[in-house]
Amino acid sequence: MGRDGTKHDMTDLTKSSGIDDPRVDLEAVVAERTQALTEALAQKTALLHEVDHRVKNNLQLISSLLLLQNRRAGDPAVKASLRGVLERINAIATVHRRLFQSEDVERFDVSAFVRDLISDMAGLSARDDIQIRLDLERVDVAAAKAAPLALVVSELLSNALCHAFPEGRAGEIFVGITRLGGDFRIEIADDGVGLETSARKLGFGLTIVQLLCQQLKARCETTAALPGTRVVVQLPVNGAHS
Amino acid sequence: MTEQPLEVLIVEDEVLLATELEFLVEEAGCRAIGHAMSSDEAYDLATTFKPDLALVDVHLRDGPTGVEVARRIAENCSGVALFMTANIKRLPADFAGACGVIGKPYSEHGMKMALSYLRVCLRNGRAPGRPPAGLELAPVFAKRWGAFDYPLVV
Repeated sequence: MGRDGTKHDMTDLTKSSGIDDPRVDLEAVVAERTQALTEALAQKTALLHEVDHRVKNNLQLISSLLLLQNRRAGDPAVKASLRGVLERINAIATVHRRLFQSEDVERFDVSAFVRDLISDMAGLSARDDIQIRLDLERVDVAAAKAAPLALVVSELLSNALCHAFPEGRAGEIFVGITRLGGDFRIEIADDGVGLETSARKLGFGLTIVQLLCQQLKARCETTAALPGTRVVVQLPVNGAHS
Repeated sequence: MTEQPLEVLIVEDEVLLATELEFLVEEAGCRAIGHAMSSDEAYDLATTFKPDLALVDVHLRDGPTGVEVARRIAENCSGVALFMTANIKRLPADFAGACGVIGKPYSEHGMKMALSYLRVCLRNGRAPGRPPAGLELAPVFAKRWGAFDYPLVV
């Protein structure tokens, strides 16, 4: 199609021009078509950036709304609920902040956003007595998997931060990401009070983890770390687990 | 701490965002001295109150005028600007004289860390370490404050 929407028929073109060298006309047609495609691509890229811009701004607006409402809330239970939602929105926002900042918009560096996420969550918890140890290998996932994965990591880390070290018990949380054959492995381990003694129960957070692992075709295993708890999420880089 | 809190001007056309940001600024130990929604308002407040730091959104009520606001603040006021934008790539290479940018959506903790970090940079003329996650410094300011003289902590 030409820029005006008409179709260029090569046979018509060469016939009607009646010249010796049809290549001259063909080159003109190719040039015109190339220009039209270039313009269409530029327009598409501009629109994509516009949408990206709006998504980012709306995420900022959502978190500002929740933070404002949280300031007004008096009931501790309401505050805790709002904090939970904020934490989840923040996990998604962490992904979007890095989206479009790199050249590759299809792939996503898991370690980079996990590092951002941990910095935020550990900082907000204001627990100087909990050390965070990281061992993050660079692993890329498809951009579509980044947000669910961020939510899973956020829930697991939140669990460790909130429940593994009650009453000012000090300790360490380890977060590791490694490649393992065709999979990659995310480990979140703490040396806290362990599953049996902690107040952890199958709350909404763990339901989210279960559902999203299903969606990501990931395996999630929780074991006793003696002391503490170790959760390992194993995710196929491509395709499903057999 | 007896030192004067950093005086901060907020230049942002989304009122809900600006309202929450005022709280964050205060919680970070700074003083929010005003809020502008357009470039004219921003420039008026900046020349009147001479803030130490202006948090500037690129898109304001009168269009994408935030870049010009930052440039005018850098040229005519004693303070510095920090961009807050969802589109970091579209900022000019020289950051229009601003000291850096914080990407939107920023987090509560990320913004507070950035403010505390900039407070030290502006008061001491020297960075306390590498910039915190979410804060990107303009090359000129990173050099001036020696932000990358510190080893990379992995």
